Amino acid sequence: MKIKQFIKSILNSYSEIFFLENPIAGLLFLLITFINPYLGISGILAVLSAYLFAKFLNLEKEFLESGFYTYNALLVGLSIGYLFKFGILTLFLVFISGILTLVFSMFLYSIFSYYLKLPILSIPFTVISSIIYLSVAGYTNLFIDALYPHFNILVLEEITPQFLSGFFKSLGAIIFSPYVFTGIIISIVLFFISRILFFLALIGYYIGAFTIYLFKGSFYNVFSDISSFNFILIAVALGGIFLIPSIKSYFIAITAVITSTIVLSATKSFWSFYGIPVFTLPFNLITLMFLYVIGIVGFPYIAKIIRKTPEETLDLFLTSQKRFQGTERGIHLPFAGEWTVWQGFDGKWTHKGQLKYAYDFVITDENGKTYTNEGLNLTDYYAFRKPVLSPIRGRVVKVISDLPDNEIGTVDKENNWGNYVVIYDERGFYVEISHFAQDSIKVKVGDWVEVGTFLGLCGNSGYSPQPHIHVQVQLYPEVGSPTLPFSFVSFISNNEFFSNDLPKEGEKIKPAFADRSKTNKLSFYLDNSFIYEVFIDNKKIDEFEMSVKMAVDGTFYFDTGKGKLYFGKANETFYFYRLDGFDEYLKDIFISAPKIPLTSEKNVIFKDFLPFKLTTSKILKDFILFIASFNHSVGLSKYEGKTINEKIIEGKVYSIFSKKPILTKLELDDVFGIKKIKVGNRTYKLKTINFGG
Amino acid sequence: MKKIYEKPVITKIQTGFMNKFGSSPYYARKIRKDIDGVSIDYLVENFGSPLFVISEKKLRQQYRKIYNSFSSRYPNVVFGWSYKTNYLQAVCATLHQEGAIAEVVSAFEYEKARKLGIKGENIIFNGPYKPLEILEIASAEGATINIDHFDEINDLEKVAEKLGKKLKVAIRINMDTGVQPQWSRFGFNLETGQALDAVKRIKAGNKLILSGLHCHIGTFIIDPEAYANEVKKMVQFKYEIEDNFGYSIEFLDIGGGFPSRNRLKGTYLPPDILIPPVDEYAEKITNALYENLRPGDFPKLILESGRAIIDEAEYLITTIHASKRLPDGRKAYVVDAGVNLLFTAFWYKFNIEIDREVSGANEPSVIYGPLCMNIDVLDEGTLLPPLERGTRLIFSPVGAYNNTQWMQFIEYRPNIVMIMEDGSVEIVREREDLTDIERREKLPEKLKIK
Repeated sequence: MKIKQFIKSILNSYSEIFFLENPIAGLLFLLITFINPYLGISGILAVLSAYLFAKFLNLEKEFLESGFYTYNALLVGLSIGYLFKFGILTLFLVFISGILTLVFSMFLYSIFSYYLKLPILSIPFTVISSIIYLSVAGYTNLFIDALYPHFNILVLEEITPQFLSGFFKSLGAIIFSPYVFTGIIISIVLFFISRILFFLALIGYYIGAFTIYLFKGSFYNVFSDISSFNFILIAVALGGIFLIPSIKSYFIAITAVITSTIVLSATKSFWSFYGIPVFTLPFNLITLMFLYVIGIVGFPYIAKIIRKTPEETLDLFLTSQKRFQGTERGIHLPFAGEWTVWQGFDGKWTHKGQLKYAYDFVITDENGKTYTNEGLNLTDYYAFRKPVLSPIRGRVVKVISDLPDNEIGTVDKENNWGNYVVIYDERGFYVEISHFAQDSIKVKVGDWVEVGTFLGLCGNSGYSPQPHIHVQVQLYPEVGSPTLPFSFVSFISNNEFFSNDLPKEGEKIKPAFADRSKTNKLSFYLDNSFIYEVFIDNKKIDEFEMSVKMAVDGTFYFDTGKGKLYFGKANETFYFYRLDGFDEYLKDIFISAPKIPLTSEKNVIFKDFLPFKLTTSKILKDFILFIASFNHSVGLSKYEGKTINEKIIEGKVYSIFSKKPILTKLELDDVFGIKKIKVGNRTYKLKTINFGG
Repeated sequence: MKKIYEKPVITKIQTGFMNKFGSSPYYARKIRKDIDGVSIDYLVENFGSPLFVISEKKLRQQYRKIYNSFSSRYPNVVFGWSYKTNYLQAVCATLHQEGAIAEVVSAFEYEKARKLGIKGENIIFNGPYKPLEILEIASAEGATINIDHFDEINDLEKVAEKLGKKLKVAIRINMDTGVQPQWSRFGFNLETGQALDAVKRIKAGNKLILSGLHCHIGTFIIDPEAYANEVKKMVQFKYEIEDNFGYSIEFLDIGGGFPSRNRLKGTYLPPDILIPPVDEYAEKITNALYENLRPGDFPKLILESGRAIIDEAEYLITTIHASKRLPDGRKAYVVDAGVNLLFTAFWYKFNIEIDREVSGANEPSVIYGPLCMNIDVLDEGTLLPPLERGTRLIFSPVGAYNNTQWMQFIEYRPNIVMIMEDGSVEIVREREDLTDIERREKLPEKLKIK
């Protein structure tokens, strides 16, 4: 088992050069390197030497799991095997280079991951290989192998048009086998594993090559330059690996490739002065720089979890990350009933600079006015003296309550924040709420408040031209501290329920607090078990039982023996999180209502997205995901539900590829549990509940 | 036209004496030439007199005003439209469109709501008299049943057994909230421990699940503090039940009883001054909720406001049929609508408006209805200028209880129209004719007049 794991890790390190995690592809690439046996042996030897040293340091587990420790050593081995003739001395050089690469990789990884939050890519390879190439200038006991003939299929080289051979050779050059036929093999492997990667390799290469052509004016020059593989690596890394495949990430990849051309040319001029190739220096430089900048500006399509292929990363992103939008700093709306967003993030009046992450709310009537009569008195304003509720659970850390409410037409310029409350949320931030009515605040410093605790009444104190509620999330307890992005959970806007989102300016929204009765119906406890009868077109075909179990991480799931359907409550919403294993019945339960808002509000629609595997066949899935990288909405199975009343939810599941939507209906029992589910022509009726315990 | 001779009378005029609200009572008059832009003349010409006129706009406005007053203060508010206040289909449907559910107190009202298309689960069933048959139907259809007495607990347990499932129910309680009279005839008394006994009884029976509390402290309550007391006691009782019996009280139905801007007989101040604004009620009630509820617990707050929503949205147009001088010198008018149509005339002093400009000093006047009955008086004494025959008097507010408690007595009942938001006028209940009244009658053969 351990040996198998070891071999798999070594093989993976070959595929990881192309950002893949696939041992079969790795084996093919390994065989390619053995076309030139010296090359192959040096590669393996460098990895082994690094492994042995890692083992000596008791790091073999991290070494095998990491990927970047192995492939950097591998590349260094390949670079030595490519350049020098085989011999004991060469092997010794490979051996010490492997160890050096490992040590340098660990050093760099520690710095990069801590300070820059960046991967080290193949910087160790570039640096160590350059060092070795420089050092050997004076080592006359080594022989330059490049002067000797290599095995090659020359026929292919001759019949392949130049613009194709350039691409294939560059691709082969990544593993130091710059031949047309190796390029073809790698292309085929890439295409089979990931259409997105293959596509990126193609556009990366040709766009880079064309840019160089514009500068140089000679296609021959361009296509015979194998260092163009840098373009391929940049395009693949940015377009499909570190960013979620999308039009935007493709655009970034192309931009990076174009800008990298001058970096490549510059490096070449400089490096060739010392007689060494550029290796992957332009790739590392450009990719890391772009990644770092994209990271600090908060680009939305950064892949938080990188899976084995871009397709899988995209699927995960679309299905799970898309389901749970908003921020981790989700707070409730600080009021009851329907209010209007007066000013949102980066607002046009006061939400600027450090204070840009804030919301202001007022109450408006049918005509959009915030007051009745002439609006000359505070009492004319709908918002005035309406309750302000705590948007989070936490501890009150600051309260000011004695400032007067300004008459309409005046503001208090001295005390901008007016009467306010600051509450500390244990998720690590503070919420500040402003402009309370004078002496209306009912909480005091040190009080513990829950979501919905009455804090005070809306007023017009501080820099407030009309009664309104101001709410912001900040890093420190002091008023005026820099604000942080946040979002609102569980609210209704225009008859649509949002679990976690940001309403726009002018939008009328109201909080959707969980209804006790509905929450009780969906409070499943350990060992509750439910027996359902299954009907197709009203004919009973089966019966099954599902019981509530707990996973090691504390999450709960319905277990049928064949599958596990995970569920839970978050943001005043009941969710089915995921289905492990495969069970037709659990699948139906999942898609009948992937989430259920716990509000008792009727005729509210809500949207969700369903995991791809529940709604599409496998072959179709791969194809769709490639298309979906250009338009994310294509790759989503959408669910749209509607609360008919407190008990019934009707929904439909559809994607662009389904001819007609699957209609679903879920009915809660009067007291406890799900009474009835209908998906297409299948109906599930609750027969008995065994409360267990 | 030649003026009819009238014996001269001497009326005491106190010149220069102003009442404390400004205008001189001798020349003040209220003129109303239209309702929502539709002229009184047009309405009478097309739909006759007397005529009830409902304003859709005003009804919706009033509902929204009261609903928003609560919903902008508390996150979980539902209004139950009290059918007995006015169960005209058009009125109920308008309010259901606005989001109210139905509150009924009899099999008749239950059936009416169902026929209108309201599902059982959207009906609150109150009242002391719920026969077993309707109890069974309502339970099966998922209506919210507020139990009034111990016998009803027995009945519901029978129903639960028959339906083969546990039923969710609520109990009505009564209590001292500081207002008189205390409505102690409905539900279980809180202070004497009767309400707690009812909970124990339900728990012991183990066939019902207690999930709500209902209370209704009275009608035309002009002290908002009474509601604060009610809410406080209800919330305390809720937690007593939840902590000791394991039930989850999901809703608090605090009933209705909010006043409209109508003037009760015997009150000195006009309603604009006497009746607290609805915001004051909402503030007191929600403050009491926040003060007594545990943080984060928002049981559904149900209100059964009737009068406050509909009363001011309806008018009654009447026509002066005759005038006479009473022996005591007061002027008297006979109009075409009486207590047969305006049942609430027994306790309200209505706002009376005239459909045209009239000159002359006001004098004390009595307004009689058309019935040949001594009790048929719409106003025992009000100040009106001399009015010609054919002048129209518009009575308001008349939306609450009149269209449900009116009677077919001596006269037919007239048209009711609704002025829609777009200005069109729709008949929502046609005037009666003889066939309506005799449809159910059976004349034994031998009594037939040949």
